[in-house]
Amino acid sequence: MATSTVLTRTEPQRQRLPWNLLALVPGVALLTLIGMAGKVLEQSISRYTKAHHLVVPNIEYVLWAILLGMLISNTVGVARVFRPGIATYEFWLKSGIVLLGARFLLGDVLKLGTVSLGIVVIELVLSIGLMTLLGRIFKLSPKLTSLLAVGSSICGVSAIIAAKGAIDAEDEDASFAIAAILALGALALFTFPPIGHWLHMSDRLYGLWAGTGVDNTAEAVAAGALFSDAAAKIAVLAKTTRNAMIGFVVLGYAIYWSAREGRTVEGSKASFLWKKFPKFVLGFLFISLLASLQFFSRDQISSLANLSRWAFLLTFAGVGLRINFREMKKQGLRPFVVGAVGEVAIAGITLGLVLVAGRIAGL
Amino acid sequence: MAVQESEAKPRSRTISIDTWAVILALLLAVLVRFGLLKHIGW
Repeated sequence: MATSTVLTRTEPQRQRLPWNLLALVPGVALLTLIGMAGKVLEQSISRYTKAHHLVVPNIEYVLWAILLGMLISNTVGVARVFRPGIATYEFWLKSGIVLLGARFLLGDVLKLGTVSLGIVVIELVLSIGLMTLLGRIFKLSPKLTSLLAVGSSICGVSAIIAAKGAIDAEDEDASFAIAAILALGALALFTFPPIGHWLHMSDRLYGLWAGTGVDNTAEAVAAGALFSDAAAKIAVLAKTTRNAMIGFVVLGYAIYWSAREGRTVEGSKASFLWKKFPKFVLGFLFISLLASLQFFSRDQISSLANLSRWAFLLTFAGVGLRINFREMKKQGLRPFVVGAVGEVAIAGITLGLVLVAGRIAGL
Repeated sequence: MAVQESEAKPRSRTISIDTWAVILALLLAVLVRFGLLKHIGW
């Protein structure tokens, strides 16, 4: 008997904003408070060290916001009342990315986007192959392996959630994959910037590396911002290019799993791709087009860029609040080990690709 | 067994977080462009 597995149109709850906006207030207030505390800490320490002629490395507000968030999450914890608002960090991230489009002329987007796309395509093939191999070696379930491969090759949590529905994976597998990707994203925040400085990478090259090597969008932007503002800008562009591939990869996996489980694919693939396509990428390109057409004055571009920084400030606080070591520990070690081995290899591969691309494209 | 788009399922009426983000960003861009939001500092 022919049965059908449905690629459901409904997306998980976390991808939508609740209609009860009041429920968001406490969490958004907490994000703002942590972000502002990070900014105040950076400025106060900088003023103090300058006044006392002390030479200490400047710790950016980004890191303070993440550390304060982590501290709260892993000590007193996050009360239920704050959770809906904290979940909006992804909304602020995407709003910030769209606004940041004003800082790019379309020509820059095309040039850097083409370089990013080349790196992304190679990274995609290698990371999917590598994760699949590691999943087999470590005897992970095939669907968990697919989710880890999707998460590490495209855009972390969003890609895993999109793929989960498409390949009909278990909730448990998705939780494992998400936990592994988040844990490794947190690790990247503390490893990518020192490596970038150690290698004396330029803002452009480091930004490209952060955007192609760090999986989750929020962590990729934060890893870029921890290096420099200019690097964060390039990381956003590279990551946005990568995010644009989500539909193709998820569709590929949906077709693969359908064939493997003896099903046939019905329905419009174009419609599927459109549904999975991250719409904020279009918003980013649109604002960039407006900026290229000189729709905004220099002052207005500066205002839009600053609005984007405010949005990212809330995002970074959310990144910290989401890092919970107890939760990560509960998920078990094997998916984490597979993810870690794969991620280290992918970070190395993307670093090599970025350095080569930098020489070829003269970045 | 066939994989298909879920035409039979009711469409979700809520707007995705991506779309909300684009709406907010475009709204802010319009406000800045027409001078209703000025000199946003950092």
